[in-house]
Amino acid sequence: MKRLVAMLLSVILVAGICTGCGNSTNASTAAASNASEVSSKAEGHVNIKLFTGKIETIDLMNEIINDFNASQDRITVEQEYQKDASNIIKIKFASGQVPDIMTTYEQGFVDQGKYLDLSDQTAWWDRLSPEMKVDCTDVKSGKQYRVCTNMTMAGFFYNKAIFSELGLKTATTWDEFEKNLQTIKDKKPSVTPWFIFGKEAWHLGHLIEFIPHGYIKQQLGSIEAKKAMLDNDKAKLNFGAADGAMATFAKNLIELKTKGLINADVLTATSDNCVQEFVTGKAAMLSNGMWVLSSLTDADPKIADTIGFAPYPSYMPNSKPVVLSAEDSGYSISATTEHKAEAIEFLNYLFKAENQKKYSEASKAPSAFKDVQAKWASTNVVSEVNTALKDAVNIGFTNEKPAGFSGDDAGRLVQDLLSGKYTPETFATAYEKAWNDGMK
Amino acid sequence: MDAPASFLKGVLGMIKTKKIGLHTFMAVPAFLLFALFFIYPLIQGIGMSLTDWDGLGRSNFIGLQNFFDFFKDERAITDIKNTLLFALGSAPLLNIIGLIYALLMNGKFKGKGIARVIIYLPAVISPLIMGYIWYLLLQPERGFVFHALELIGKSSWLGNWLGDYTACMVVLVLVNVWQYAGMTMVIYLAGLQSIPEELYESAKIDGASYWSSFRYVTLPMLMPSIRINVVTNIIGSLAVFDIVMALTDGGPGYSTETLSIYIMRMCYGSKTGYSTAVALIMFFIILIPVIISMRLTREKE
Repeated sequence: MKRLVAMLLSVILVAGICTGCGNSTNASTAAASNASEVSSKAEGHVNIKLFTGKIETIDLMNEIINDFNASQDRITVEQEYQKDASNIIKIKFASGQVPDIMTTYEQGFVDQGKYLDLSDQTAWWDRLSPEMKVDCTDVKSGKQYRVCTNMTMAGFFYNKAIFSELGLKTATTWDEFEKNLQTIKDKKPSVTPWFIFGKEAWHLGHLIEFIPHGYIKQQLGSIEAKKAMLDNDKAKLNFGAADGAMATFAKNLIELKTKGLINADVLTATSDNCVQEFVTGKAAMLSNGMWVLSSLTDADPKIADTIGFAPYPSYMPNSKPVVLSAEDSGYSISATTEHKAEAIEFLNYLFKAENQKKYSEASKAPSAFKDVQAKWASTNVVSEVNTALKDAVNIGFTNEKPAGFSGDDAGRLVQDLLSGKYTPETFATAYEKAWNDGMK
Repeated sequence: MDAPASFLKGVLGMIKTKKIGLHTFMAVPAFLLFALFFIYPLIQGIGMSLTDWDGLGRSNFIGLQNFFDFFKDERAITDIKNTLLFALGSAPLLNIIGLIYALLMNGKFKGKGIARVIIYLPAVISPLIMGYIWYLLLQPERGFVFHALELIGKSSWLGNWLGDYTACMVVLVLVNVWQYAGMTMVIYLAGLQSIPEELYESAKIDGASYWSSFRYVTLPMLMPSIRINVVTNIIGSLAVFDIVMALTDGGPGYSTETLSIYIMRMCYGSKTGYSTAVALIMFFIILIPVIISMRLTREKE
C-alpha cells in the first residue's frame, strides 16, 4: 500500500512538473497572444532590442533610447550590452534569439545572410560622407549591410613636450622612427621610448593589422586588399615570404626589443600601465586608436593639449606612412526581424544631428554625418589627427580575417615572437599557416 | 494484452514483490532533471562532435575527423600537457594543505573560528577576480610584491616569472591552491570531527604515538572525506579556466593555455563541432583519473 502511494505521489509530482512547464509555455503563448491582442488594440506596440558591445557609450545610448521611448508609444527599445559581444552574438544567432539591431558585424554573418540590406536607405547615405559608404560596402555583393556613424583613427600618440625638448620630428620612415626612439633612450634613460602593452593580445594583433597589413592595403588598394584576403590570394598576400611585410615587421620589432627601445616588460604590461606611464611622462610613444583618448584624459585632463598624433612610418621599400581611418559605431538590422520599419524608425531618431553630436563627443570619434559638427576632442588633437590623415595613406581595419584566426590569435603569435619562440622568418611562416588554417 | 497495460501490470507486480521500493519512485523527478541537463546535452554533444558545424550555417557529418585533427594539433597536445601538469601539481597540494589546515583547526586554541573563516574566505571570491588581484600583486616590474622586494633590494627574487614556463605553472598552481585549500579544509574538518574520541583514547592507552594514531586511526576514518576531496580537486584542477585566463590569458602566446580555454577559443573561432569533440575528449581525460581514484579510495574504505 505504502509503495502504491509512493508511486502515485511520484507520478503526480512528475506530472505536476510537466504540467507546470506546459502551463508556462501555454501561459507564455497565451500571454503573447494576449499581448498581441493588446498591442493590436494599442496600434501595434512593439519591443525591439539593440545589442551592443560598446561600453563607453552605454549611458548616452540609454539616454537617447529613453527619449525615443518617451516620444512615442508604439515602440519600446531596449539596449542589451555584452562585454564579449562579438562572441555572444554567435550564440544568439545559433539559438534564434537574434536582436533586431546590433553593433556587431562580421563578414561571415554577411555571407550567411544574417543582416538586412540597407543599400536603399538613401536618407542615411545622402547625409554620410561618400568614403563612409565605401567603407560600409560589402566587397562580395556590393551592398551595404551596416551603417557606421563615426570614424576612428589609430596611429602613434606621442609626448609633444619630449619631442620638442629633444628636437625630434615625427618619422615618416622606419629608420627615422628608430633614430627617434634611440635619441629618447639616450637623452632620457628613464623614459620608455615606445610602450607596448603586450599582455593584451588584441593590442599586438592591431600592430599586425596596421603595420604589415597596412603595407598590403597600401600596395593593393583598399578594395583589392579586401578581395585578396577574402580569397586568400597567397600570391598577393605573401605572408610567409622571408623578406615580406610580415617577416620584416617581426625583424624590426625584435630589433627594437634587443636595443631596449620598447619596455622590457612588454609581455606583462597592460593598457592601464601604458596609460599611467604616458600621462606621467614615463613613456614617450604608444600605438593605439582614438578610443584611448578617454582613458588618457581621465588620468590627466591636461594631457589633451600635449598629445601628438602621428602615422605609422613606412618600413618596406616604396611605401608610405599609413594611418588607420576606419568606420566606427556601426548598426546592422537583423534579416529576420519582424519589426524592420520600427528598427529603421529608431535608427532615424538615433541618427538625428543633435543625437549624433552628443554621441560623437561622448565616444571621442568624429561623426561621419556631413551635417554634424561635434567637438569630439581638443583642438590640438583634432589638428594633429587631420594632419596625419592628410600626410599618410588611410587604411581600414582588417575585417576580412579568417573566422578561425582572430586579431587576438595574431597577437598571441606576436607574444610568441617577443618571447623568443620564433625568428622573423619562422614567425612569417607560422602566421601564414595560422591564416590558412583559419580559412578552413 | 496491449503494451501500456502490460507495463502497468508488470510495475504493479514488482511493487507487490517489493522489487521496486519507495526510493525508486522518489528518484524519478531527479532522474528527469539529470536526463534533461546532462544526458540529453551529452547525446547532442556527441552528435555535434561528428560534424563540421561552425555555429551558424549547416553542419556536415565528418565522422571522427575532429578527433583525429585534435591529436594532430601541436597546440592541443601542449594544452593537454599544461592541463595535466596543473592538475598534478594542484590536486595533491590542495589535499595535503587542506588536511594540514584541518588538523590545525581541529585543535583547541583561541581565535579558531576567525582562523577558519580567514582560511576559507578566498574560496568565496570569483576565481577570475582572484586571478586579477594576484596579477596586480605579482606583475613583474610593477606589482606590489616587486615594489616590496625592491625596498629591501631583492627585486630580482621575483624576476620575470611570466617569461618562464616552469615559474608560470608554479604560480598558477600556488594561487589555485591558496584559493581553494579552505574548501578542502572544511570537508576534512567535518570528517575529523566525526571520528569518535574513544578511538584516540584507545590508541593512547595502547601506547600509540601521534603519528601512529594519525596513520592507523585518523587516515582510515577520513577515507570518505579523502575520496570526496580527491575527486572534486581532480575535476576542478583538470577543468581549470578562470585563474589561467586572469593571470596569464594562456600566454605568453599559448604556452600556458589549458584545454578549457582551448575549447572556448575554438568554439568562438567558428569551430563549434570541433570544440565539442575536444570537450568530449576532456570529459574522458577527467573521467579516467576520477574512476581510478574512486576505486582506490573505495578499497581503502
